[in-house]
Amino acid sequence: MTLLGICIGIMAIIALMGIGEGMQQAITGELSSLSDTIVLSTGDISANAFGGGGFEHANNNEYLTERDIADIQRINGIKDVSTVLFSPGIITFNGESNSVSLVGIDELNMEKIFGIGVLGLESGDFIEEGKQNTCVIGYNVAHEYFDVDIELGNRVNINGKNFAVVGIYKKQGSGMSTETDDNIHITPRDFEKITGLSESSSAIIRIYDVTYADVIADEIETVVNENHGDDDFANAITMTSLIESIQQIISIAQVVLLSIASIALVVASIGIMNTMLTSVMERTREIGIMKAIGATNKDVLFIFIMEGILISIIGGFVGIALGIIGSRGLSTVLTRSFGGELTPVISTSSILLGIAVAVIVGMLSSLYPARKAAKMSPIEAVRYE
Amino acid sequence: MKDDIIVTKDLCKTYVLGKITVPALKPTSISIKRGDYISIVGPSGSGKSTFMNLLGCLDTPTSGNLIIEGTDVSKLNENQLAKIRREKIGFIFQKYNLIPTLNAIDNVALSMSFVGINLKTRLKRAEELLGLVDLSKRISHKPSELSGGEQQRVAIARALSNKPSIILADEPTGNVDTKSGDKIMNILEDINSQGETIIIVTHDLDIAKRANRNLYIHDGEVVEAAY
Repeated sequence: MTLLGICIGIMAIIALMGIGEGMQQAITGELSSLSDTIVLSTGDISANAFGGGGFEHANNNEYLTERDIADIQRINGIKDVSTVLFSPGIITFNGESNSVSLVGIDELNMEKIFGIGVLGLESGDFIEEGKQNTCVIGYNVAHEYFDVDIELGNRVNINGKNFAVVGIYKKQGSGMSTETDDNIHITPRDFEKITGLSESSSAIIRIYDVTYADVIADEIETVVNENHGDDDFANAITMTSLIESIQQIISIAQVVLLSIASIALVVASIGIMNTMLTSVMERTREIGIMKAIGATNKDVLFIFIMEGILISIIGGFVGIALGIIGSRGLSTVLTRSFGGELTPVISTSSILLGIAVAVIVGMLSSLYPARKAAKMSPIEAVRYE
Repeated sequence: MKDDIIVTKDLCKTYVLGKITVPALKPTSISIKRGDYISIVGPSGSGKSTFMNLLGCLDTPTSGNLIIEGTDVSKLNENQLAKIRREKIGFIFQKYNLIPTLNAIDNVALSMSFVGINLKTRLKRAEELLGLVDLSKRISHKPSELSGGEQQRVAIARALSNKPSIILADEPTGNVDTKSGDKIMNILEDINSQGETIIIVTHDLDIAKRANRNLYIHDGEVVEAAY
């Protein structure tokens, strides 16, 4: 029971740190490759924290104009600007229907935004320029939405219109392109035909030098806001700031979870103290013998503190092992629940922290019982039955 | 001429029980020579154990002085008393008082660890001492695996571990059979013959008679006796 408390506390620390570090690395790694990208959106844009940086666009009826795009292109340091059309849609295949996200984007912009190589196609190709009524579908749309898998060349019905599937994306998992698994990409022209929408509320802007990302983002916001006479019309967000805000969210979450873990450690230290007090009482005679044969108060104090630390370290090592197993289990559960890939990162520093916490907890919780043992009168202790 | 190893000057111990003051040891002035073999006899509750505890620096006197090898220990603090206990005094208790979780060799080596002797030297000396009390083949046995006589011999080896100048034995044969008791007394006498001062508390007059000086305690008063 004494070991259990310390086990749980250390296990929680190791698991949470491992998962937190894994999340940070997954997000930072994914977004860092896109650090030269600025996402412009009318209304609010928010980061999808788990698995990193997918974008959630607030529904609004405010669109970017051709003037906005032209003004942005004139800003120094802009490589290119690509608008993206988003809309919900209904896909019907083999008599079954499902809702999907439609993305209107042409091949050129697609390459600009992600690079086809980044997303990767499981089979087929991207839509040829000018080719109508063709689509590229996400992995989940192809393999999980319907009883029968959609294959290359199959015809699907999107919002009442037939499309030929010319490409299927590889599974993207977590990250920037999470939603791609559930998206259907069509040309902007087809997008307009089936949704009636031709204006975009989002644009993805690439810049030449990432060191100016924040300055350029501010300039973009200013230009677009001025065009619409509204200070809050558009929001330009850099990947760097996105990484920072996500890391901040994860750090706060880690602090909260570690605080919860520390409660387990407080309970554990009370448990160790209780065990040590019982041990001191049971070993009163032993303490008396030690003092009779020459042990000083300091010797007795040291012996009992070392015992407390030993108990705690044993619990700590078991906790570290369980923490490593637990973080893997937790990441599997999170991956299954939210999709994507999350590999926990158990660093040497988190293991050392676990051991250090165990040593400190053991030492502090055995201090009082050890002092009690050290202060015993040898004559009374040796007489104790 | 042998020097005085222990000198008591009006050494006194009283216990206060509520409003009553109980004199456990009345003012006692004696001197014990180096190499003496002394027995202390007396009825239960006479003050034998109190006297022994004072001589062994386990307890502090209410008044008077106790001088061990020239040092007045009655004025020392706890840590200084612990130093005297581990360097100058070896204890042998009636109930052996071995640490139950340690085997024979570790029990003997334990007191040496408080002096700061390294592990290898501790174990080597502990093994030699166990050989001296004829327990070479039982060094890895725990107290529960040893007979009463064997446990007491381990306790003797432990008492000798830090080469003390005084051995205090409180009823060393009280919990063992006659044959084992005889063996224990022979060991103690061997040690005494090598110059060690032995003070033994006993109820057994036959044991007391083996000593070269006898003290008798009655109602906290120490007197010389002859058997």
